Amino acid sequence: MKLLIVEDQPKTGHYLRQGLTEAGFNTELVADGSAGQQLALSGDYALLILDVMLPGRDGWQILQAVRSAGLDTPVLFLTARDAVEDRVHGLELGADDYLVKPFAFSELLARVRSLLRRGNATPQETTLQLADLRLDLIRRRVERSGQRIDLTAKEFALLEMLLRRQGEVLPKSLIASQVWDMNFDSDTNVIEVAIRRLRLKIDDEFPNKLIHTVRGMGYVLEERPA
Amino acid sequence: MRRLSLSSRLALLFAACTAVVSLFAGVLFSRASEAHFVELDQQLLDGKLIGLRRALHDIQSSESEVKLADELSRQADLSLRITGSDGKRWYDSSTRLPQELPTQAGLSTVSSEGTDYRVLNAPLYLDKPDSPQLTLLLDITHHQHFLQRMQHLIWLTVGLSALATALLGAWAARSGLRPLRRMSAVACGVSAQSLNARLPEKNMPPELAEMAHNFNAMLGRLDDSFQRLSAFSADIAHELRTPLSNLLTHTQVTLTRPRPIEDYREALHSNLEELQWMAQLVNDMLYLAKADHGLLMPKREPLELAEEADLLLEFFAPLAEDAQVKLSREGSARMEGDRSMLRRALSNLLDNALRFTPVEGEVRVRIVDQPEGLNVIVENSGDGIDGALLPRLFDRFYRADPARQEGSSEHAGLGLAITQSIIRAHGGQIHCESDNGWTRFVIELPRT
Repeated sequence: MKLLIVEDQPKTGHYLRQGLTEAGFNTELVADGSAGQQLALSGDYALLILDVMLPGRDGWQILQAVRSAGLDTPVLFLTARDAVEDRVHGLELGADDYLVKPFAFSELLARVRSLLRRGNATPQETTLQLADLRLDLIRRRVERSGQRIDLTAKEFALLEMLLRRQGEVLPKSLIASQVWDMNFDSDTNVIEVAIRRLRLKIDDEFPNKLIHTVRGMGYVLEERPA
Repeated sequence: MRRLSLSSRLALLFAACTAVVSLFAGVLFSRASEAHFVELDQQLLDGKLIGLRRALHDIQSSESEVKLADELSRQADLSLRITGSDGKRWYDSSTRLPQELPTQAGLSTVSSEGTDYRVLNAPLYLDKPDSPQLTLLLDITHHQHFLQRMQHLIWLTVGLSALATALLGAWAARSGLRPLRRMSAVACGVSAQSLNARLPEKNMPPELAEMAHNFNAMLGRLDDSFQRLSAFSADIAHELRTPLSNLLTHTQVTLTRPRPIEDYREALHSNLEELQWMAQLVNDMLYLAKADHGLLMPKREPLELAEEADLLLEFFAPLAEDAQVKLSREGSARMEGDRSMLRRALSNLLDNALRFTPVEGEVRVRIVDQPEGLNVIVENSGDGIDGALLPRLFDRFYRADPARQEGSSEHAGLGLAITQSIIRAHGGQIHCESDNGWTRFVIELPRT
């Protein structure tokens, strides 16, 4: 799966490529708008990450060229400006997502994965599982080691999200947006508390913990060697 | 064309008024004295006419000629002409009488060869239709001279008094307008550094006192906004300085000598926390800056406020359960607004309320649907807030509890300011009240 980053600031571009490569993506970086457009039009990429302000051709123009060539490659915009018109403009032109600098890398990674997942719909699952944790989507039941665990509706939704995206670090803002539909910057520690309460039910009585905190980035559900 | 100064206009206006008034008075006086003279002459000539008729009753006798001469000599400025009914001149008492005289009966005024006459025509015999005509002529040259002199005097008075009032008026206007010049001098001296300058309202004339008051009020508002703005900039610098200094110190200390890998990881984690805090701060400040520039444009989606409040309460439920605080909502209303902005505004209020509610306390959201507007009230039980601090709660970086604790994810103190900006962008107002163990944030939204 190849990603293309078009970003003219060397430091930003370098770290983005490093981060995405280490997250398992095959990533290419160009700093110039015209070169970026040529590559984007080749159709070899699963996702484009475009900066708005670029030398040569700006992000909007690349997006327009890609869309008018009939390509529906998902496009994620990065910009330092958070003007409403910019956002509207980008979405009108067919951008799929939008991140305003400064953003957290974990946020970018989570959104990249969401966009990549969008195309290939996963087959309808009836149960989600990790180690001895099982979540039954039809009967809305959760079990661990065969032991039934009672969860509130939101705890269930939270666990479902963690299970669906197991192994991914999920930033707090993404959790708030997906589980509670709260799409705003908030420095409240609701998510911390919600995760703590979920842990209490899922992990506390069991020796191998599944929910892990990635300091400063978010939470991840995965099985780690003891 | 250059516009005349206010003082010059007033002076000219005064002068014109005085000229008109004195001219009017002069003309009136001169007309009155002229009429008075005419009246006097009429009386005199009427008296003479009776005497002359009597003297001329029987013109044949020589006695009557003497009588006539006697009658005429008694009044040196009086002359007589007798004309026959056929228009032939019978008699002139003096040779210098004008040739042509008006023939109509009654009094008239005639000027001839530098002499002015009052002329009275009357028939000699009142009972005969073809009676000879008596024409009495009274020399009134000295009267006319007097009237002329008086007219000159009037013009002179008009001119002089107009000039005098123009000068006096200019002086009066200048001194009357002195407060305006003072105002302008103060306005000239106002700059960002001297917004505390004020006009003395006490010594102002009533007409200008209100203007001075408004001018001072404007300066006051500017001063206040400017103070807040400079405090905001100073606060930004201060808020950023703390995490920056932590970052600098920590990074430099970490790099001074080789360390185990764990230490580096720890340093990076610590830096990450500071950086996230700074990023949040910058984002919040940009949001406020946008609000200040009127760039916060709320969408107009139909909203069910009860539903929104319930969703938010569900969001905060884990926090509330943890803090053993009861959450509740009552009332409902529909409105049009920006869902995500209003959620953010209410979330800040709820977060704030939960932070200050003691264990076993309560946080309530009340939605009051009134004909004049919607009220959304977020209230929490607890110690309450000192009344003096209430208006400052919405100030940027204001924190009721001073000093952010090191390393805690404490707010920068922009939450309530952001809430206020959002409510204002929706055309509403927010204020806080605190009494009887409840602290209440009241949002008033206009009916859409």
